[in-house]
Amino acid sequence: MSSPLRHPSSTPLSRRWGALARGGAVDRARLAVVPRLRSRAPRVPFVSLVSVLLLAGVVGLLLFNTSMQQASFTADRLEDEAAVLSARQQALRTEIDELSNPTHIAERACDLGMVAAPPAAFIDLATGKVTGTRSAAVAGPCPGASGAANRAGNR
Amino acid sequence: MPSKKRPALKGSRPSASGRASARPRLRSRPRGSARGATGLRLRIGFIVIAMVMSVFAARLVQLQGIDPKQYAAMAAAEGKVSVVLPAERGDILDRNGKPFADSIDGLMVVADPSLTSEDAPELATFLSKRLGIDYFETLDRLRAKDSRFQYIARQVPAATARDAVAAAKEEGFVGLETRDDPVRVYPSGDVGANLVGFLGTPDKNGAAQPLAGLEVAFNRWLSGHDGEARYQTGAGGSRIPLGDNTVDPARDGAPLTTTLDRDLQWYTQQVLAETVRGARADSGYAVVMDTRTGEILSLADYPTYDAAHPELSPESNYNSRALTDVYEPGSVSKVLTAAGLIDAGLVTPRTKFRVPPQLFRQDRRIGDHFDHGWIRLTLAGIIAKSSNIGTVMAADEYGPGQLRRYLSAFGLGQRTGVGIRGETKGILPAGSDWTSQAGDRIAFGQSMSVNALQMAAAVNTIANDGVRVDPSLIQGTATLDDGTEVGTGVATKRQVVSPEAARQTARMMERVVDPDPEIGVAPAAAVEGYRVAGKTGTAQRAGEGGYDGTFTVSFAGFAPADDPRFTIYVVVQNPRNGGGGGSVAGPAFSKLMGYTLRKYGVPPTGTKPSQLPVVW
Repeated sequence: MSSPLRHPSSTPLSRRWGALARGGAVDRARLAVVPRLRSRAPRVPFVSLVSVLLLAGVVGLLLFNTSMQQASFTADRLEDEAAVLSARQQALRTEIDELSNPTHIAERACDLGMVAAPPAAFIDLATGKVTGTRSAAVAGPCPGASGAANRAGNR
Repeated sequence: MPSKKRPALKGSRPSASGRASARPRLRSRPRGSARGATGLRLRIGFIVIAMVMSVFAARLVQLQGIDPKQYAAMAAAEGKVSVVLPAERGDILDRNGKPFADSIDGLMVVADPSLTSEDAPELATFLSKRLGIDYFETLDRLRAKDSRFQYIARQVPAATARDAVAAAKEEGFVGLETRDDPVRVYPSGDVGANLVGFLGTPDKNGAAQPLAGLEVAFNRWLSGHDGEARYQTGAGGSRIPLGDNTVDPARDGAPLTTTLDRDLQWYTQQVLAETVRGARADSGYAVVMDTRTGEILSLADYPTYDAAHPELSPESNYNSRALTDVYEPGSVSKVLTAAGLIDAGLVTPRTKFRVPPQLFRQDRRIGDHFDHGWIRLTLAGIIAKSSNIGTVMAADEYGPGQLRRYLSAFGLGQRTGVGIRGETKGILPAGSDWTSQAGDRIAFGQSMSVNALQMAAAVNTIANDGVRVDPSLIQGTATLDDGTEVGTGVATKRQVVSPEAARQTARMMERVVDPDPEIGVAPAAAVEGYRVAGKTGTAQRAGEGGYDGTFTVSFAGFAPADDPRFTIYVVVQNPRNGGGGGSVAGPAFSKLMGYTLRKYGVPPTGTKPSQLPVVW
């Protein structure tokens, strides 16, 4: 800080002005202590907002984590359930496959008294012409009847 | 700067020394007397802190300096689980998607005998009931000494195994657990078994052990790659959601779709079995091919086995004999000789031959299967009556090497390459092995060997207007373990004889099944309502040291003769009922052809059958 400012009364006015004119730069750079700005806003709401945010964050994170854990348990349980169900579905499909095996179907059909198809005639619907020779189905030995013997004979 | 010049700072906290100087009264009340001098306390505090810090430092050096990796691994392993995700083996399907072989989730049941030996008898009773296993063997395993791991049952369907172990737990039994053990099921049993093959019990690593058929040939294609899941688990074994979690998914094996028709395959096997047993023969094969595409609709072997229970049959039944057996085809091959002759323009179906009772070639006598004097036959008559002598006389028209070139173009002497391991090439003599005597016999199908599928494909060439199409067992394409691509997608075609030559040969073959036994030798092979072209074969079988007096009888043919859709070839080895190709294989051919035509809804063409003259 410059001395002219600290002792204004000891300097004649002209000198002061001269000094001021000479010291234009000094004048421009004149600094002063600024009074501290006192915030008028009350602190309490801000602090409580931050606290609430923090608390909400922590609680939220905790809840989120808990629900993720919960979901993980559920996922595990559901995966187990899915495995059991898919195993059961596979077992049932296998059963269907075995029941629809031609050997089995032939045996059942034979039990029901069905016979292999005899020669059939064809009707051309466009011309009404019949080709081929037809014949009635006759009961005979089932073609599948030998199935079991077939395998047994080779054991 | 003196503080008085800065009033704004007046309220600021004074320094410690300032406070001391500004408030000398504090000094008048010393507090440290009870705990000793400040300096001493500080020193002791520093020492304690230094000791603690050096313990930390020592621990740090221990952790980071001495074998840090081991500790890192231990930390990583803590709570970390690695699970193999087994790849599902591809299914083997028929042309309509019906399964020959299917993979399902399976489990093995294992026991810890140190826990199970106490209640062994009760547990064994329980398990033998639930899992259908042998009681005594289970009992021994549950009581095994000095063991903590015993297989109780392997490859049990997952549902059954889970239920059984859960029920055992409920009953209060301990020491049982389950592990992954994929199951291969063969719901079709013996239908197609010789082609499909089967898997044996997996090895220790759980890898599949294919033992026969397509399962072996396409093992890599079907297998896929196992995946792996690694994740961290918390208490109770459940996954930690934000923990390390990597999944390398399993790549399932590709399915293999065959060209087989499961129902037709079943019927073919039934008819073949009846035929072979009826003739008291050793074995037999039957092939049904789609004429135009070369797709194998069924390929039956007898004797066969049940793929679901292969252990019940001898190993010799596991192969497909239709591909692995070689035999001399006999007279069926005459149609190839004749088709080549017509294609080369050397003869026509009406060419006349004066056929002697027997023919002497150098020192060898060639005879016919029926006694006759001098007879006058056309080429069609030679085929219809299956005259060896006539065929040899006709084949004399060939130039050197010409017959061999035709037979080779028909595919004889080369593997069909449908994708079954162990397929034989057959034997088509070449070079110096092709003597003039051998050439004579080859003309009527002896002194050379084929497998059944080769021969079916050769006859199919005549059905398919002279175009040989590679037979296929796989729809689309699939890659064999040796890297070869096979299937309908890569099947090739080639013109072997002209369409006209093929049609004329077919017309001659129609005379074989003529209802008049004076004309054809196989009226039993006819299919009511349809025009059928075919050829019988009765060949001597080569045993050790020459022909052993047994026969191979066969019938090959196609229908409808003027617009062929299916080619069927039936072979019976060593019939003991004295039958020939016409009487043994002919009826089987007729049944199969009739069934196939009906099943695929092929109407008769309604045209007049061939009336080519057989005599002159």
